[in-house]
Amino acid sequence: MTKIRFVLLALVVILTASGCSTETSADKKTTLTLWYWNRGLDDKLIASVEKQFPDFRINAQKIGGDFKSKLKTTLAAGSGGPDIVAFNDWVTEMFPNADRFYDLYELGAKEIEKDYLDWKWQLGVTPDDKMIALPIDTGPTGLFYRADLFKKAGLPSDPGDVSQAIKTWEDYFAAGEKLQAALGKDVKLTDNIGSIYTQVNAQSDKIYFSEDDAFIGEDPSSSMKKAWDLAVEASEKGLLANANGNSSEWNAALNNSKIASFVGAVWNKEVLQQAAPETAGKWRVARAPGGDGNNGGSFLAILKTSEHPKEAFEVIKWIQNPDNQVDTFVNVNLFPSAAKALEAPELLKEEEFFGGQATGEVFTESARNVKPAYFGPKYANLNGIVNRQLQSVALQGKNPDQAWEDALARIKKELLR
Amino acid sequence: MAEPLQTRTRLEPDLRTRQPERRRGLGSEIWKHRYEYLAISPFYLLFAVFGLFPIAFSMYLSFQRWDGIGEMTFNGVNNYRFMLTDVEFWKAVGNTLLIWVYSTVPMLFSALVVAFLLNASFVKFRTFFRIGYFLPNVTSLVAVAIIFSTLFSNNYGLLNYILTQSGLNAVEWLNKTWGIQLAVSLMVVWRWVGYNAVIYLAGLQSIPTVLYEAAKIDGASGIQSFFRITVPILRPIILFTVITSTIGGMQIFTEPQVLVGNDGGVSGGGLTIVLYLYREAFVNNYFGYGAAVGWGMFVLIALFSIVNWKLVQGKSDT
Repeated sequence: MTKIRFVLLALVVILTASGCSTETSADKKTTLTLWYWNRGLDDKLIASVEKQFPDFRINAQKIGGDFKSKLKTTLAAGSGGPDIVAFNDWVTEMFPNADRFYDLYELGAKEIEKDYLDWKWQLGVTPDDKMIALPIDTGPTGLFYRADLFKKAGLPSDPGDVSQAIKTWEDYFAAGEKLQAALGKDVKLTDNIGSIYTQVNAQSDKIYFSEDDAFIGEDPSSSMKKAWDLAVEASEKGLLANANGNSSEWNAALNNSKIASFVGAVWNKEVLQQAAPETAGKWRVARAPGGDGNNGGSFLAILKTSEHPKEAFEVIKWIQNPDNQVDTFVNVNLFPSAAKALEAPELLKEEEFFGGQATGEVFTESARNVKPAYFGPKYANLNGIVNRQLQSVALQGKNPDQAWEDALARIKKELLR
Repeated sequence: MAEPLQTRTRLEPDLRTRQPERRRGLGSEIWKHRYEYLAISPFYLLFAVFGLFPIAFSMYLSFQRWDGIGEMTFNGVNNYRFMLTDVEFWKAVGNTLLIWVYSTVPMLFSALVVAFLLNASFVKFRTFFRIGYFLPNVTSLVAVAIIFSTLFSNNYGLLNYILTQSGLNAVEWLNKTWGIQLAVSLMVVWRWVGYNAVIYLAGLQSIPTVLYEAAKIDGASGIQSFFRITVPILRPIILFTVITSTIGGMQIFTEPQVLVGNDGGVSGGGLTIVLYLYREAFVNNYFGYGAAVGWGMFVLIALFSIVNWKLVQGKSDT
């Protein structure tokens, strides 16, 4: 019996000892833990934080898998989280729980507000004026198009001319009809119905919600109905390849020259180069039809459970200062959110994939003209509902009016819960 | 009736003398064997933490409104009310049942045939085939789903390539409700045929060969002995596989999720109950509602199991 007791005791000792072994390396430095995802920040820059702030130790952790779920679980647990955390454009989902994060205005964010693009800055500010997240990068949009196909179809092919000739979505669709008439049924103007809907909304300052979270989708000032009608029109005119983004279908269609253009954010450059390497040199970027817009872009926030909010703020302020944003753009292609960084010559490098065009000219101009918009905590839910109905219209021939009614009915049910 | 009473009276003095001893003894018995109890305690502790607590908590949660981070607010039966009146929930239930029927029936039938062949003496390299048929079961589901999505892909899929090469029209498989359900069902069939075949094989090997020999002498064909000897003797094993595939089929999630995404594809053809639960809780942030859906699913599986159980009872009576 004493033998068993000894074994158990030994087990207990081992278990408790291994539990606290992490605390042994004590030094006087303040340790700041940072959560981000691969390519969410510039690794080189993070490594140089300790050089810039000799008193701080930075414990940067790349969180793989479903980042948002892991963050939410940690927030729900109420402890054990990092000091600093990166957000993607779902920052707006965090607004109802803004009290879980430090109000960056209280930590001195007001002083640097003027350095940033206003519309991007506002995305991290709640309607009651709490700033929960500092901008990292942005996703200004442009029209990605195949210069060779446009030329073959007798359309303008130089980026400047395209920007001039295709100013509205109607212009764009008309060009698409001309293009498809000239090149035959194998080439489509653009990829899918959802991307038109998304891009029209991305150019608007009023989408689903007013700042008091009232649904305004039926109001003529909101872009919801306009985006819906344009998306349906493109589908009815047969301009869509019906290839959903992020799919092998999409990659194949682009690589096989079946999609002549699409409106997308600056980060689509990288996606495109990986998806369609065989079309290198044939792509150009012009200003998006219908106006400048934004898709995505990330943020940094400080958790309320952090014991060093001031130090954390110093660090994120430094990481996101205009100079470092330029470096980050060069290293990992994150498009700057600081107005001054947009002026850097590094952004205007000529790119081989785009036939030697400096696409930065288009995107910096686009970034300056995005309208500030309020998304609201339930943006993604509503967007999901509408997109499902649009998919039925484009892929199964559902009656668009019926689909619109169904979408509205579903949204109203959604808003009641 | 007299028999049991008699035995009870016969036991009674015994019990009377033992009982006080036992009552006093229970605590000290446990104490006496405390190390043994301690040794088996990890299972119960783990079960309490990872089994019992989540079950109890999800019950509590299903009456709350919770976005996963902030304060929970009591919501009464609203989650359940929403669920029962939500067309998408009932659609998910319908989809799940359809996919279950499409997959389970052909799966169990082909498993039985495969097992019969694997057991047949005329097949060579039987061990190789046994491993071969079981292999799909240990393949990563995500990899399987990716392969199937390239098979069924609308423009560049293998199936459509074969169709167009043989002069037929391409089918937009993943844009049609039936196409999505077919693809998901095929994935289930592909993955579980070998698993069930192995179970059937174990059953087959317990059937005395003399039965087959006797049937052969009487002039029965292979098909006759399959349906007259194999199937009836395997009936309890078949019912076991039906019940396990029912539980598995009600919980189908990864196949449609990887194949057609969180919405279950166009018009939600692949939206199963668990996928719906996942979407509502983890994508749309209605955790209380997700918990309620989980309990709805529990009720459905329980109902199904009762039906199956009744079937087992009915069969064994005859």
